[in-house]
Amino acid sequence: MDIEVTESGVHAAPSAPRGRVGRRALLGAGVGGAALSLLPFLSGGADASATTGDSTTTSSTTPPQRPTDSDVTLLAFAQQIELTAQALYDEAIAHGGWSDEQLVVLVAIREAHQAYAQSLSGLLGRQAPGQMSLPLFESLRSGFNVSAEGALAAAYAFESAAVATHLVVLAKLQGTDAAALLASIFSNEARYGTVLADLAGQTDEATLLVFEESAALTVQG
Amino acid sequence: MNNESLSPDLAQSYDRRGLFRIGGLTVATAVVVAACGKSEAGTLGRIGEGGTTPVLDDPILNDGVLMRTMAGIEISIANAYTHILDVGFLSQRSATLPDLGDQAGLVTSFRDQHLIAADSFNAMGIVVGALPWTCGNRRLDEAYLTPIFLRIEQGVAATDSAKKIEPSDDPARDCINLVHALESLSSESCQALVPVVTDPVIRFLAMQLGVRTARQAALVALKIYPGGYVAVAEPVVSSEPGTTVVEVATTIAATNAAPPPTAIPLPLAIPGQYGLLAPVTYVGGAGDENGVRLKLNFETPSLNSFAYPFNSCA
Repeated sequence: MDIEVTESGVHAAPSAPRGRVGRRALLGAGVGGAALSLLPFLSGGADASATTGDSTTTSSTTPPQRPTDSDVTLLAFAQQIELTAQALYDEAIAHGGWSDEQLVVLVAIREAHQAYAQSLSGLLGRQAPGQMSLPLFESLRSGFNVSAEGALAAAYAFESAAVATHLVVLAKLQGTDAAALLASIFSNEARYGTVLADLAGQTDEATLLVFEESAALTVQG
Repeated sequence: MNNESLSPDLAQSYDRRGLFRIGGLTVATAVVVAACGKSEAGTLGRIGEGGTTPVLDDPILNDGVLMRTMAGIEISIANAYTHILDVGFLSQRSATLPDLGDQAGLVTSFRDQHLIAADSFNAMGIVVGALPWTCGNRRLDEAYLTPIFLRIEQGVAATDSAKKIEPSDDPARDCINLVHALESLSSESCQALVPVVTDPVIRFLAMQLGVRTARQAALVALKIYPGGYVAVAEPVVSSEPGTTVVEVATTIAATNAAPPPTAIPLPLAIPGQYGLLAPVTYVGGAGDENGVRLKLNFETPSLNSFAYPFNSCA
């Protein structure tokens, strides 16, 4: 009487019939497997690059998504500029003398700069400086702490400089997350220049479109 | 107690008659199988031979394709501005936007800037090994710009099921709104390029051009809607204070008046806190019998609008 036992693990020793079939079959399977694994090499397709038959496939290095170490330094610099901007707009708003329309715009721009600094914090984590550049703030403070007309002109120049600075930073960034965020930030900061010029009553097309971009900012401290 | 034996039955099943039955059944089954099988004789002929399954080219997406695509977008925009300037709608007075003024000079400078941008993208494309793209983007031309110009200039002819739609009731308004939509599209497209390209130098170039078009979009928005800087939370004001939507509908039904045409949204100089990548909505042309104007969403380039290596301007 045959009793079939199906056991797993160490008890699942091959029975006599399996042993008879097994050795040669295993050898055959091993050779077959080795041949299959060698197929790509034998057929010349072992190259791991994503090349196709078409020569136009230019395989280029995929940029990193997360900020690299050098990106962190650049993004920290960008965050300091945004926090400085927020502080400068605080100065201007506190000085007063604004019409309701002007105040709405200034508050919106000030809040936007704050949001930019916060989103950069989100990207940098604990490496975010979280504070403005005091030397930059002191160098620009007097321009914002004047009449509405003067403050608008100072803000116009500052936004243009911020765009120029972020463009320089963008050209050095490696990580795509940081690049995308920074692009979305200064794409809007570019609009601020046009808005501030219009708010100041400018009608010259070259001024409204900021044909002459300010020099990039530098941050110390 | 039963003591049945199976042997008589078994003996009976193998008798002569049983064998005849089995033989007959076998022959009948063979006939059925043969009838259902493929027959060589009498096959219907066919005319011609079908082609083999076409092998599609690889939709390779690299920096070169993106540069060609952007060049096409910029050329399409420049071509659209040339058309707008040629028909002269921008020099006409707008009934909807009485303070708009003649914006032909501004749009001319925008057109020149977009041609420069197209050259810049093509030059960068050559650097990364792509062929330059010297015509407009087909998708943008066919699905967006041509239908918009047809709707503005000619309207839509009557069909069996729909009445004729007249040409635009305010071509100057529709053209300047199109300029704003295209400037926004150009800016968004440059921004959308940033995380997709592999080379930081290309990002710099794209955003240098994107910054310029973002400002142009803001300026056109202010020309259309002076003082429209940022979104301010305001209650929606009806044309008739205190009138509800139901009352308006009842009034229209009672008087058999034409429904009001689709509202055209006013653009803002700063539409959001960050640079947007959302579709740019364009509403224009005269309303149809239900008052519905042409509405299109311009979107940044994607798989169906890229200028792949196997595409060409020829």
